Amino acid sequence: MPTPSPGLPLAAGVGLRAPHVREVLARRPAVAWLEVHSENYFADGGTALAALDRLRADYPVSLHGVGLSLGSTDPLDREHVAKLKRLAARVEPGLVSEHLCWSGAGGRHFNDLLPLPYTEEALDHVCARVARVQDLLGREIAIENVSAYVAFAGASISEWEFVAAVVRRTGCRLLLDVNNVYVNAVNFGFDADAYIAAMPAAAVAELHLAGFTATGDCLVDTHGAPVAPPVWDLYARTVARLGPRPTLVEWDTDLPAFDVLEAEARTAARILEAHDALAC
Amino acid sequence: MPSLADAQAGFARALAGDASALADLAVASGGDAATVAERIAIYRANGRANYRNALAATYPVVKRLTGAPFFDAAVDAFVEAHPPVAGDLNVYGESFAGFLAAYPPAATLPYLPDIARLEWAIDEASRAAEAPRMPDAVLAALAQVPANRLPAVRLRLDPSCRLTTSRFPALRIWRANQPDRDGREAIDLDEGGVALVVRRDAQGIAIEATGAGDHAWLVALSRGATLGDALDAVQAVDAAFDLGAALRAHIAAGTIAAVVDR
Repeated sequence: MPTPSPGLPLAAGVGLRAPHVREVLARRPAVAWLEVHSENYFADGGTALAALDRLRADYPVSLHGVGLSLGSTDPLDREHVAKLKRLAARVEPGLVSEHLCWSGAGGRHFNDLLPLPYTEEALDHVCARVARVQDLLGREIAIENVSAYVAFAGASISEWEFVAAVVRRTGCRLLLDVNNVYVNAVNFGFDADAYIAAMPAAAVAELHLAGFTATGDCLVDTHGAPVAPPVWDLYARTVARLGPRPTLVEWDTDLPAFDVLEAEARTAARILEAHDALAC
Repeated sequence: MPSLADAQAGFARALAGDASALADLAVASGGDAATVAERIAIYRANGRANYRNALAATYPVVKRLTGAPFFDAAVDAFVEAHPPVAGDLNVYGESFAGFLAAYPPAATLPYLPDIARLEWAIDEASRAAEAPRMPDAVLAALAQVPANRLPAVRLRLDPSCRLTTSRFPALRIWRANQPDRDGREAIDLDEGGVALVVRRDAQGIAIEATGAGDHAWLVALSRGATLGDALDAVQAVDAAFDLGAALRAHIAAGTIAAVVDR
């Protein structure tokens, strides 16, 4: 059995990107925790890794992978997994997460988070890979639902049933990206609340929030804008339904000043705290 | 429904622009083939932006020298010619210099591949393993080697050390195009070439110009040559090479990190 994750603080964190590292080191802003992209710290040494060591002394950290290609039929990249294991041993993260997607085929990597066909075959394959990765790492991982712009015509399972089945079969945790649920609900015309309701609440270890960009009738998950009002609303309903969870605000393109991310995290924190107040 | 492997291969062909591969894909809200093609175009645009951003982070001076439109087009062509095979974009792009050397639109900038080589060296140096800096210990270890055994000694360079050369004043070009400079300095491309040592030190990345002899000697050492063989390699380049001075300078600077064996 993989070692369970220690978990993240039940509060709002911020996704840390390279342009903000210097400021965060100097100012130590009052954010509850930080999440970084694992691959950005795969180096053998150097200033980026040294900075992460210093930040880790003051903040809980979550490692979030973007390049493992968990659902690909290409062979699992053992070197990639070994580097993640080395990094996790160094950082002692609250959570290690990966995307429920694939990124490469036939030896070519697309370095993108591509949707799986939601079929029994894909479910068997990705469950075996999640189990293998947890085995190799010797620790539990969380898988994250991804945004998508096309689906496979022959899919036999809904996305939410697929996500829930991977969690149920492998015993892994779930990183539920609320923005991705909203984006896909619009792009494919399903009910976002029904999706949230189908999630196994006990397995949800983290929630993600980010901004999208509308392109024609399609919402594109750019992580390049503030969290949209309907996503805040869906987030509040998610917290009400599943209970409060460690929540992360992500921003990747057109990165604003760090205090903009702090303000977004404070909004998430207010929603978490409002739920706590109601629960008392 | 095709098998998972065929579905992924088909999606990959659609990303590569094969319209016949779109048939297995759908937009569940009832979109037609044209809508699927539009949605695939979103993935293609995301992919291009990812690679342009990743290589711009590694090659900022190449981008500044060529301008963003030229750079973006060069990256797009590079990705076609050298597709990524791994998930970590931080280590993608090593062959960009070689690609630029044969990229016809860059033919009027003959120094560009050397700038790319220097930027890759800086990138590698910035993520190399840590090694203790103990110049006094290296000197003491060397002093203990009997004179007749010295030619058989091997020296290990710091793990961050990278060696690069150019027949152009590549370091001046690189420095003149740092963010705090206006990039307008007049540089005579015929002023002569440089041999460079790139490594990490306590302040960050250090780049130093060395003589041709020192450079040839360090290259030989980096390939595992013994002191004797490295000295032979230098004689062809620099008959006046001063071994004692080179040892003292490169041990003091931390470029030579350890005495490997005796």
